[in-house]
Amino acid sequence: MTSSQSHRLTSGGLIDRSAPLNFRFDGKTFSGFQGDTLASALIANGVKLVGRSFKYHRPRGILTAGSEEPNALVELRTGARREPNTKATTAELYEGLEATSQNRWPSLRHDVMSVNQLFAPIFVAGFYYKTFMWPAKFWEAIYEPAIRRAAGLGRAAGVADPDHYDKAWAHCDVLIAGSGPAGLAAALAAGRSGARVILCEEDFSLGGRLLSDGGTIDGLPAAEWLLRTLAELEAMPDVRIMARTTLFGVYDGGTYGAIERVNDHLPSPPEHQVRQRLWRIVARRCVVAAGAIERPIVFVGNDTPGVMMASAMRTYVARYAATPAKRMALFTNNEDGWRTVETALSAGLQIAAVIDARPDVSPAHRSLASKGGFPVLHGSVSSVDGGKDGVRKIAVSLTGGARAEVEADGLAVSGGWNPAVGLTSYHRGRPKWLDNIAAFVPDGAPPGMVAVGAANGAFGLGACLADGFAAGGAAAHDTGNSGKAGAAPVAEDEAFSLTPLWHVAGKGKAFVDYQHDVTASDIELAQREGFESVEHLKRYTTLGMATDQGKTSNVAGLAIMAAVTGRSIPETGTTIYRPPYVPVAIGAFAGHHRDETFHATRLTPSHHWAAEQGAVFVDTGLWKRAQWYPRAGEKDWLESVTREVKAVRGGVGFCDVSTLGKIDVHGPDAGAFLDRVYINTFSNLAVGKARYGLMLREDGIVYDDGTTSRLAEDHYFLTTTTAKAGLVMQHLEFCRQVLFPELDVQLTSVSDQWAQFSIAGPKTRDLLKEIVDPAEDLSNDGFPFMGAREVRLRGGIKARLFRISFSGEMAFEISVPARFGEAMARNLMLAGAPLGVTPYGTEALGVMRVEKGHIAGPELSGTTTAADLGLGKIMSTKKDFIGRVMAGREALVAPNRQVVVGIKPVDKARRLRSGAHIIPKGQTPGPGNDQGYVTSVCFSPTLSQWIGLGLVERGRERIGEIVHAHDPLRGEDYDVELCNPVFYDPDGGRQRG
Amino acid sequence: MAEFSWASRSPLEHALVTGAHGARGVEAGVSLTEVRNFDLIQVMARRGKAAELVNAAKGRFGVAAPNAPKAMQSQDATLIWSGPDQFFVLSKGGKHTMDTLALTLSSPASLSDQSHARALVSISGAKARTMLAKLSSIDLHPSAFPIGAAAATSIDHTSVTLWRGNDRSDGQAVFNLLVFATFAESLWHTMLDAAAEYGADIGQSEEF
Repeated sequence: MTSSQSHRLTSGGLIDRSAPLNFRFDGKTFSGFQGDTLASALIANGVKLVGRSFKYHRPRGILTAGSEEPNALVELRTGARREPNTKATTAELYEGLEATSQNRWPSLRHDVMSVNQLFAPIFVAGFYYKTFMWPAKFWEAIYEPAIRRAAGLGRAAGVADPDHYDKAWAHCDVLIAGSGPAGLAAALAAGRSGARVILCEEDFSLGGRLLSDGGTIDGLPAAEWLLRTLAELEAMPDVRIMARTTLFGVYDGGTYGAIERVNDHLPSPPEHQVRQRLWRIVARRCVVAAGAIERPIVFVGNDTPGVMMASAMRTYVARYAATPAKRMALFTNNEDGWRTVETALSAGLQIAAVIDARPDVSPAHRSLASKGGFPVLHGSVSSVDGGKDGVRKIAVSLTGGARAEVEADGLAVSGGWNPAVGLTSYHRGRPKWLDNIAAFVPDGAPPGMVAVGAANGAFGLGACLADGFAAGGAAAHDTGNSGKAGAAPVAEDEAFSLTPLWHVAGKGKAFVDYQHDVTASDIELAQREGFESVEHLKRYTTLGMATDQGKTSNVAGLAIMAAVTGRSIPETGTTIYRPPYVPVAIGAFAGHHRDETFHATRLTPSHHWAAEQGAVFVDTGLWKRAQWYPRAGEKDWLESVTREVKAVRGGVGFCDVSTLGKIDVHGPDAGAFLDRVYINTFSNLAVGKARYGLMLREDGIVYDDGTTSRLAEDHYFLTTTTAKAGLVMQHLEFCRQVLFPELDVQLTSVSDQWAQFSIAGPKTRDLLKEIVDPAEDLSNDGFPFMGAREVRLRGGIKARLFRISFSGEMAFEISVPARFGEAMARNLMLAGAPLGVTPYGTEALGVMRVEKGHIAGPELSGTTTAADLGLGKIMSTKKDFIGRVMAGREALVAPNRQVVVGIKPVDKARRLRSGAHIIPKGQTPGPGNDQGYVTSVCFSPTLSQWIGLGLVERGRERIGEIVHAHDPLRGEDYDVELCNPVFYDPDGGRQRG
Repeated sequence: MAEFSWASRSPLEHALVTGAHGARGVEAGVSLTEVRNFDLIQVMARRGKAAELVNAAKGRFGVAAPNAPKAMQSQDATLIWSGPDQFFVLSKGGKHTMDTLALTLSSPASLSDQSHARALVSISGAKARTMLAKLSSIDLHPSAFPIGAAAATSIDHTSVTLWRGNDRSDGQAVFNLLVFATFAESLWHTMLDAAAEYGADIGQSEEF
């Protein structure tokens, strides 16, 4: 091996010889040029062996020059940026690039696992299914990890990706996939017509096959026409050209997915820039000019390094001035393959022979052969002799039975071309078979999409230009753009005469799917074992299931299956095509949504004040809520929470409860509306009063609860739980717009308008007197329990005050407009300092609600009825409401339902855990005697022991009974007593006081 | 007796740092300006009174209330469509508050104060559309989203009202964004992230 670019032509190609680049492959330093891919640079350095195959660890070389590459997969970059399974054929070279070959140990040239080849006869299709079936539990623990180590691809970095990815939307009239002649012609026609156009090109250079194959367009050399066309397109303000962008999927409503490799061509993205960007493109029309993929022919030794697709061979020579072989042979079944010979000859390379499977070769090519001094052999390649250093000799079986040998260091293969039917088939489209090109072409496409040029089976340059131009013009016209498109570019069509040839039978391994090591005999075996359906064939052999999704292998596999079953290829059919067209990094789908920005967060109005106080925050849905406020010297959360509870019960504390959903219900029919959505009545609620309300789902199960206050005749202020705020708003809007459109009622979410604090404890009134204007009467007479009205605060602002209690203490909730929320917290601290006011978090809030036996999320579990929760009494019998009828179903009113009950451990020192199952005392736990479970627990500072709530069968009739708590998750078993769920102040004197 | 301060605090007060953000050494591609202390009233027609509301609004503001996703600019207020038969009234300086609007609009409409429920960010600059394309699925091309166009949409799973105001004096388009106050800081960080590569000029203002 050498690092002097021994296989680089001295002139030609689209590389910049003035910009040399150093790179490393498997630790060895090489050089290449700007404009190279990793693959072309390796070829220019004479590197033939680039990887080991998936199952047999066979030496593999570069097969293609595009994103269909099955072999040349490398780990690109190092450390946290290491990317496995990167195609050397699409990776752009940059200074300092580091790549490592995959799936070999200890080195690419000396791979221990290549002994797998010796066992090849047993590693046939279905081998794993057949062999590792027993014992079943060994599969996960032993077999699968071992197999994955041996048969694998690259290694993931294993640490977080340091780069950023983002996502963006784009919109256009006409979206074009591919910048080959068909795509460029479509863009010209659409752009000139005035359409908004987006042209996506996977490659970093625009032009598609024009870059490799040249030709003459409008009397100009292709390269010149390309420059002129790109200049014209770039001058159009509404034409956007996106290179390094693969259109990988089509979704509903004309939405397309594309991945833009913004900075993959640099060692790392510049500061503030992203590595890749995921595009969602909304297009009214789409022209698929994605070209075609040349297909291999299956013969023995067809995976030897140095065997390459004919089109790739001439791409490396013409575009990259790199020579995969010095003396090459061509094996073709069609006219197009011969273009590689023309390219090679004009680059001064030797042609060893052309093996043409067709009966006839054109006179032009015959004279080319005699001029070039090489033989034309009619027949097929029967095997290749070579190894990890490449092709040495090619065995040919000639038509008529004779054999011949050709000495060559490279073999170009062309089995014809398969149109890229992916995009057109992603909505369950099934492509149709065309006999004249022996290939599948799109048969229809998702709405608004059309395939043109080679992607539609029209391979000639003239046809591509004409097709593309017509489709681009039509798409522009369909989307209301009527500018003059002018004349279509003109070129001649090349001949393409093909005699189908899929498989040359022989002794030895002949590969169909290179990446998954599926051979022709695997397909024959699948057929013998009954896996004839293409979908079964795919799963049994894993044909087409590798990262390349069978781009070079699927059709050959179908053809072999067709041959062994005696059916035609279209009868055999294709598997379902699914996006993405190329692998897309998960990071690109995640975009900005990772780590702390994984999802949007909501902050309460007092959040930053609470953070200043050192609050510990808990994620509650999207919210960050203060969970407790630790103080210096407190050893754990329990100590902090216990202090907060005691401070409230003994004095006064406050808690930001702004997370509750808040809804303004306006209109003359507001009361009537609430009567229909709540099980209890609100139309008779007096102005200035609040009432607890419970709403059911249509099926009679409890949906949500909260207090609703009447602030004016035609204005109620409704609150929901934090968890259901958005859902209740949706539900109420549905009721308003769909169920009860006759009611004059208007709903507005005011959740974010108000900062709301609960102030609780026996000294609440003392604290409020400091805050509220002295003119406001806060006495029991002036502001009784469940009162609700607007008050004026000292300093002039207005607030809403509600005398409601969740803690069981004397309590108020106070609301101020949200921008005053932080000031409210500070003022409460200031005014309450002499009273020892204590801010408390959601844990203390939870402890006090359990002590008081109030239900919350764990009890509103979507399985409980109002009666289960002990709230059956408030269900009105005088009116209709949502859920009323279904709530009366037999099972929902059965006497043995699990209902809310209090739970205390018999051993007072024991900790309770929610989730423990309740079993009758003395019985062995099992599903037959499971009577419910513990829903909520807390350590009650008031009772100095753990207490809980549970849902227990006939619980309310069993107060005082000792039952058994069984907690298999934590391995705990203990006795508990069923008790009244109201542990604290059961007659409610404190909250009324 | 304690001395209380009722300082108004914007939901972006903590997160917003005025000055340059992201790429330096280039002219900032995006300007992000928070507008603080505005009045925002949601006006919703009562049943069967949409026409009456249109007349009342016309009398009050001198422009027709929007009946499609649009923002209408009057002398001293912006009326922004928020749904069928409903709109926002956005203003500054106490010109259109709950109290003053109730006089003319409370018969045909229900009013709900949203002044504190939203944060308002104005986005402009040569890269404003490019940056917004990362956040919004709305087509903001001049032909699809002209001056006065509005959308009730979502950004980063967060409900927003987006409309195009009058162009800046240098001809650059201006996009205004109302976001729920409790989501504002989160969305702000998303916006900074989206703008960083173009360089952003961060500011805040008491004026529109």
